Parts: sequence; structure tokens; C-alpha cells
Amino acid sequence: MADADEAAIHLPSQDASAHIEIDLSDETQDFRMLSNISFLTDGSQASIPKRGEKDFEPNPTLYQADILSASRQAMHHALSHPRIHHPKNQIVGVYAPDGPAPPPQRTTTSVGGLESIAEGSGPAPAEPSPTTITTIGNVHPDACVYVANPKSNLFKTIGQADRWNRIWLLPEEALFMLERGSLNIRWPRSEVGFDEEEMDGNGVEDSGIPMSLQAAYAAFASRGGLNSERFSVYTGLRRLGYTITRAPGWDDDAEDTTGDDESTCNENARQQGGGAGLVGIYSRFINWLCPPSTNTALGPVAGVGFHRSYDDIYSKLSIIPWYDPTATPKAERSRAQAPYRVVFHVYKPSTPFKKSAPPAPDFRIAVVNARAHTSVPTMSQLGALLESTPLDPPSSEKMSRQMYMRLRHGYRNVILAVVDEGVVSYLRISEAAFGKEKLYKQKALGNKIQHRPKPKGR
Amino acid sequence: MHPGVQHPKSPDASSVPASLKTETSPKNASPARRSRPPRPNHRHIHRFPFPVDVHPLPPLIPHNPLSIVSVLLSYLTYLIAPPQQHVYSAYFDSATSSVHVTDPKAIRALWEMGFFGKGSLSRSEPSWVEREKKRRGLLGGTTSEEVTRQRRTERRELKMDRARMEKLIIQERLKAEAAARQGADSTVEQPSQSPSADVSTEKFSLRKAKEARLLDVQRAVQQDGEVNFPDTSEKQTLNGSGKTVRFSPVVQAKEFTSDSAILQLPEVIAEEDKAGPEERPTVENEEHLHLSNEEAFFLVYGLGALTILDDTRRNIIPTSALLPLLCHHSKFPPRDSSSELNPDDTFLISYVVYHHFRSLGWVVRSGVKFGVDYLLYNRGPVFSHAEFAIVVIPSYVDQYWKETEERRTHCATRVSRSWWWLHCVNRVQAQVKKSLVVCYVEVPPPVSYDLDVPIETDIGRLLSQYQVREMVVRRWVPNRTRD
Repeated sequence: MADADEAAIHLPSQDASAHIEIDLSDETQDFRMLSNISFLTDGSQASIPKRGEKDFEPNPTLYQADILSASRQAMHHALSHPRIHHPKNQIVGVYAPDGPAPPPQRTTTSVGGLESIAEGSGPAPAEPSPTTITTIGNVHPDACVYVANPKSNLFKTIGQADRWNRIWLLPEEALFMLERGSLNIRWPRSEVGFDEEEMDGNGVEDSGIPMSLQAAYAAFASRGGLNSERFSVYTGLRRLGYTITRAPGWDDDAEDTTGDDESTCNENARQQGGGAGLVGIYSRFINWLCPPSTNTALGPVAGVGFHRSYDDIYSKLSIIPWYDPTATPKAERSRAQAPYRVVFHVYKPSTPFKKSAPPAPDFRIAVVNARAHTSVPTMSQLGALLESTPLDPPSSEKMSRQMYMRLRHGYRNVILAVVDEGVVSYLRISEAAFGKEKLYKQKALGNKIQHRPKPKGR
Repeated sequence: MHPGVQHPKSPDASSVPASLKTETSPKNASPARRSRPPRPNHRHIHRFPFPVDVHPLPPLIPHNPLSIVSVLLSYLTYLIAPPQQHVYSAYFDSATSSVHVTDPKAIRALWEMGFFGKGSLSRSEPSWVEREKKRRGLLGGTTSEEVTRQRRTERRELKMDRARMEKLIIQERLKAEAAARQGADSTVEQPSQSPSADVSTEKFSLRKAKEARLLDVQRAVQQDGEVNFPDTSEKQTLNGSGKTVRFSPVVQAKEFTSDSAILQLPEVIAEEDKAGPEERPTVENEEHLHLSNEEAFFLVYGLGALTILDDTRRNIIPTSALLPLLCHHSKFPPRDSSSELNPDDTFLISYVVYHHFRSLGWVVRSGVKFGVDYLLYNRGPVFSHAEFAIVVIPSYVDQYWKETEERRTHCATRVSRSWWWLHCVNRVQAQVKKSLVVCYVEVPPPVSYDLDVPIETDIGRLLSQYQVREMVVRRWVPNRTRD
């Protein structure tokens, strides 16, 4: 079922917030009510409504009571606005309990075949045996609902098409669309006990019996690695307009592929390892002239006698090893363990997304159940999780100028979604290499930058 | 406080009406408010990052033969008379497990060069002497504590004013509503009245600063009259109790001290007269610099700028003995001095982190006020707020720690932190605009400990077996990253 606000859906992203605004502007004239209501129902608006001053405690004035009742009234108005699902835009999906399978018997394009997207290569594999439940096309094996007449903007980012122009939905996608009111799921004939003959007759699986929301939850909520934590993260971000896809780490046994190309690592390592050319020779010569005295046994580490510069003292003091995220990881890399695995790739609404060739994700999310895993991850868990993400060094122009920003951005990053009984808290974890930002050298650098513009001005 | 000068003033304080007093009060107020003493030049005071002397070579300019000469000359002078590194001294008090510096010079040096330690009678910088001198009227200027107090009273005033205004508005509205109810045509009055009230509440927030200023001045004038009107006996009781009087404006408090001196009974003045001249110039500095154990060990082992005496205050504790000593004192009550050193000793782990960040140039100070282990300051607390807040969590990666059940449970308890704790710390840091850094310290197995040499004889090797890994934790708000 499509919403009455199909027009709003055609606007890129931000559909949820858009339709509330439209409803309101039709209904209410009072600006205060409008501002109150739009701020009550969603916080994700492009223009922040003016909120005015907040009363922190009730007082016996009629004035306050009036404001309260007015805003309540406005909310009721908004809620009582009729939402119409136009039958023409109805999207009907069929539950496939056994996972993705080719259409039964003959290939039929009867259901919405005309309007369907013309990317499938026409009809026809001869007699697909019913036993092959393997992937058809590149449909994910966990998919369990197919839509034969995919006509919605939602399908730009949701679902996978098979060769028969049907779009297969993963359980979380089906549930999300169902919750949204954009999808109507039907039971397949095989599940509700239709005669075999009738099935043979037209080759349609759709029994015409709608699946209730409860049934859908029962069927999908724990299917194919989905659980309530992952689902609440999925729908929450979807509703905000993000595009979410499953990451390779979804299945516990799957080997996660990292986008960690060795070349960049090597490059970084090369950059790190000593200066090249004259400077390198010079520093080596200096080192040879006055070898760094090692007083680390009993100190003072800074060395006895007198010192030439504070930089020397600092470099002598740096005896504590620190983890370098850009260094090539050890041969045996610990695999990311169960909850600390990237399960979702998230794309911003503004990122152009193509289902056939998804770009590099904007965020990587691991979902943790705060009740099942009560303590924060240990270093090895978090380290393995971070190592499964590609190197993302702070490289933007702005960051090259601001050290704090570089440190906060880090070299690798991942987002932990900590779910406590349905409440999701997102934490961005990034690997900051403080050891790569020598503050004592930064100061000198900063001064130089400050001084440079001066001669220009003169 | 010369009675000869001040006595003539006291009659006018009691008899002259407020009109005259209004003239004097701004004069007294102005030094505190307007002509502040120039701020100390922190850039200059804290130009050295460590309490270690540095003797840079003169610059070598290839085409200037004189520079070569000067370089050689400096080499020569250092060869003949090598400059002595000044070593400060502190003592370790085993009863309180703490390190103290009592020499005022050393206190200044350690604070100014690297912000080590904390004044035992101050909030942070050892400023007790100045405050005390100020309190006795021996010194001009303000200490940081006083500035803070002043700011706080001002803020409190503002808030009280705001609350008063809000109450007033509500009362007015109630009155208007009651009137409207009596007069039957409430419909006419309601709309005309509500916007006006709206305006006043909104405007207040903008105006409040100005208003508060005005009120301050007015009240200062008023109270000035009040202060001087009541007779001396009341003054005396107030003064005797030693409590700060409830005149919140700061100007008042200051004036009051001088007033109290004037209004004291003759015999008290006489008493003070006797004591005064000797006491005034010599305010004994009673303050210690309390070094944290990590700071003390860093100064000794890292920089060699400090020696630590033991309880007898006579013998220097050698570095090899200091490390086990501080480790044993990392718990309370301190462990037996004969017990083995654990590689995951609290002191060792926190020292590794302390040394790591110090060696990178950060000024590391305790973060207990923010619920974290350390705060990282760029250059120092007088220059800017701390940007990073460090939480230390040990980590047991090595196989050794997983071998027996006992070790596993031990590690689990040491490592375990709840999600609620993490969120708690994270929210606090966000509130104070700091970035939370979870600093994992990889603890080595103790196998290397039972080599032939006891570990405390090679501290460098011990420390080099730890590894520090920093993770910045920040709340991710999906609503704000959509673009």
C-alpha cells in the first residue's frame, strides 16, 4: 500500500518529515501551533521552528494552560488527518518462506509485468527445479518477500531484483516497509493450503490473504540473523533517510573483507620511516656524532648533563610504545568477534546510491545488545573491529591545519550502536594516534604558519 | 592599617548620610572592577615546558665565520664549566602515600615549568600566600580563586533577578486574568494582554545583563548606606563571627574588611597595632606543593629534576627503590614492601599513560573533577581549557593472561566497565566540551620479570613492554550527520 503522500515520496529523501509539514500547513493557520506540532513530531527538519521561551514549571495562569491545550489540539488535528492509501499505488509482496526461488512452473509476467523495470533479461529459464534454493540472480539467500510490481521510489535503495523483474526483500526491509504502510504482504498459496491444481492453473503464488503485522513480525523478526537490536537500528536510520545495507560481517561465520589496500599502508610506512635525502643523511650523521645516550634503566631518561633543546628531551622521553594504526597489521590478524562486527553499511541521504554498485559506505555500524554484553569492549575486541574497517586517515584540507580535528577524526573509525531494550545509543569510535601528532613540534609549526602571512601584508 | 590615618574616617562612616557615601563608593569599587591589575604574562612565565634547563647552541650561519666562532666558544665554555642542572627536592610521606615539595622556590619552578603538582591550600596553582596577603590587605591584585568567586556571585545575582522577573510576570498575569474574569469581557482582554507578556519575557533575557549591572550599582549604593548606618556593636558581632556577610556584591565584601578595621573597638585596634608591624611583612608560606605519584616519578625518572627524600627527610630514595615504593602505595592500605611487583599494578599502568602523553608534549593533569583519569592540556591550564579527557583501561592481550581460570577472572574484573559508565563519562565530557579518549594499556606478562635481574633495575625495559592505544569516543547523532 502506498501512502497518500506519494507525491512527497518522490521528493528525494526526507519523505517522513515532508508529509507532516504538508498536513499541517493545510490544517492549521496558527503559527504557534504549527511550530509546536512540527517540533513535537520530528526533530529532523530542514528549518528549525522557532520555539520561543520554555516554561520550566507549571504556574496557575490561564495563559499557560491555554498554550498547552492549543498545542495538544494541534497534535490531535494532525493525527486525525485522514491518511489515504490509493489502491493504484498499492505494492503487494508475497512471502516466500523458503527463501528466494524462481517463479513456480511457467514464467509469468502476469502480475505487474508490464510496468516492471526493464532490467531483467526477459523471460525464461527452462524448468527450474524446485530444489534449487540457491541464489537466483544475485538475490541474498535471506530474502523472504518478493514484490512483483515494484513501483516505488523506495526500491531505489531497497531490495534486489531477480531475473524475472521481481524485487526480493530482506526481512528487515520487508518489515520496515510494512511498518511504514508502504507494503502489503500476502501469504503464499503453499502456506494457506490452496489446491495444487489451482496453483498450476495460473502459476501465481499470491493467495490473496494478507499477512498481519503480528504474523510478519513472527515470521521475519528473527530470520536470517536479524534480531530486534539490528532491526531497531535499521528502521531508526531508515526513517531518518539513511540508506542501509547489510555488511559482510552480518553472518557470524562470514569472513569479512576489508577495504584495506596494502598499498596505502606501505606508502604511509614509507613516509614514516625516517627522512629521505639530505635531511636523512644529516640526521643520521648527527645521531652518529652524538649517539642518543640510553639512560632508561634508572633514569633520568632525559639524560644527564645539560640539554640543547626541549625537542631533544621530548624525543628522549618517548620510550613508551604506542599503537600505530597505519603500520601494516601483524600477519595473524584477529578476526572481529560476534557482536563487535560491522553489520551495516550506512550511506547518507545525500550520497548517490546505486543498488548494483554500492559506493563506499559513509558509516560502518556494529550493533551490540547492552543487556547481553554488559561491559564495554576490550581492546582486542575493539581493535579487531577497527581493523576490519579500511584506513581512513584525516586527510581533508581543514584537518591538515587543525590538530585537534585530526586527532578526533582518527585513522580508522566505526560506529557502535548500543541497544538497550530498544533504545539505541550510537558511539563513534575512532583510532586516534596521539603518538603521530607530536604536540611539542606542532607548536613550532603553528607559530610558523602564524608568522608567514605577515610579510605578505607588508 | 594605621589607626592615625583611618580614625578620622570612622566618624564620617557612622554620621555622614548616604548622599556623601555614594561618592566614595564608586571610588572604592573602581579598583576592583575597572582598573584590574594587568594580567600576568603567562606566555613568559610558563615559557619552559619542563623544569629542566636548556642551553641551545648559538645559530650556525655558514657564510658568517663569526657564528662558527661563537658556536665553538659555547662548546668550549660548556666543556670547561658545564652548567649544573638544578635539582629540586621533595619528600615522600609514607603515612599519606604522597609526595610534597615545601621549598617555595621549587614550588614556583615546578608549577611554572610544566604545571606539576597542586597547591595543598589552593584549588590548583599554589596561590595561598597571595590570597592570604590579600586577605590581610597587604597586596593588590586578585587571585584566580577570587575571580572565580566574583564571577559566581555575579551569576547568582543574575539568576535571582531573572527568577524575580519571571515571578513578577506570572503574578501580573494572574492579576490580569482575575480582573478579566470579573469583568465579563475576557475575550477582548486576553489577546491584547498575552503578547505584551510575551514580549517582556523575551526581552528580559536580552536585557538582563544590563539590568543586573544597574541593579548591582544601585544596591551597592544602598547597602553602602546600610552598612555604615548601624552602630558599631552589630558590626562587631558580624566581624567576630568571621563569616562572610551576606552582601553578595563583591565590592561590598572588599569594603567591608576595611570598614571593619575602622569600626573595631579601640582595644582591638590597639591589639592589632602591637602585632601588626611584625606580622604584616612576613606571611609565612604554609603551603605545600602536592605532587601526584606519577608526576613525582616522572620528575625523578623522566627528567631528573627532582630528588625524593624518605620519611626521615635525610636519605634520598634511589629511583630503583622509588618505583616499587610507589607501586606498593598505589593501593590503600599500602602493600607489604616485600611483595612482588605486578605488571598490572595501578601505578605502573597510570604512569605509562602519564609518561606517554608527557613525552608528546601534553600537560597532563588529574581529571577527577570530570570523572576521568587525566586531562590533557595544550601548553598548560592557564592558556586554554583541556581538549582531551583520558580514561585508562588496562588490556590483557598476551596469552599468559588467558592461561588459567584465575587469571582470566582477574583480567575480566580489571577490564570490566559497564556501558552505563561509558555513557555517563561520555555525556559529562560532551557537557564540558572535551573529547573523551579511552586509553587502552596493553599489559605485558610477568614472565620477563623473573629474569636474572630484578625488574626495577631496568625500568626502561619494563616500560617498553607496555603499549598504549588511544580511541576517541564520541556520541554519534544520526540527525546531525545527514548533510
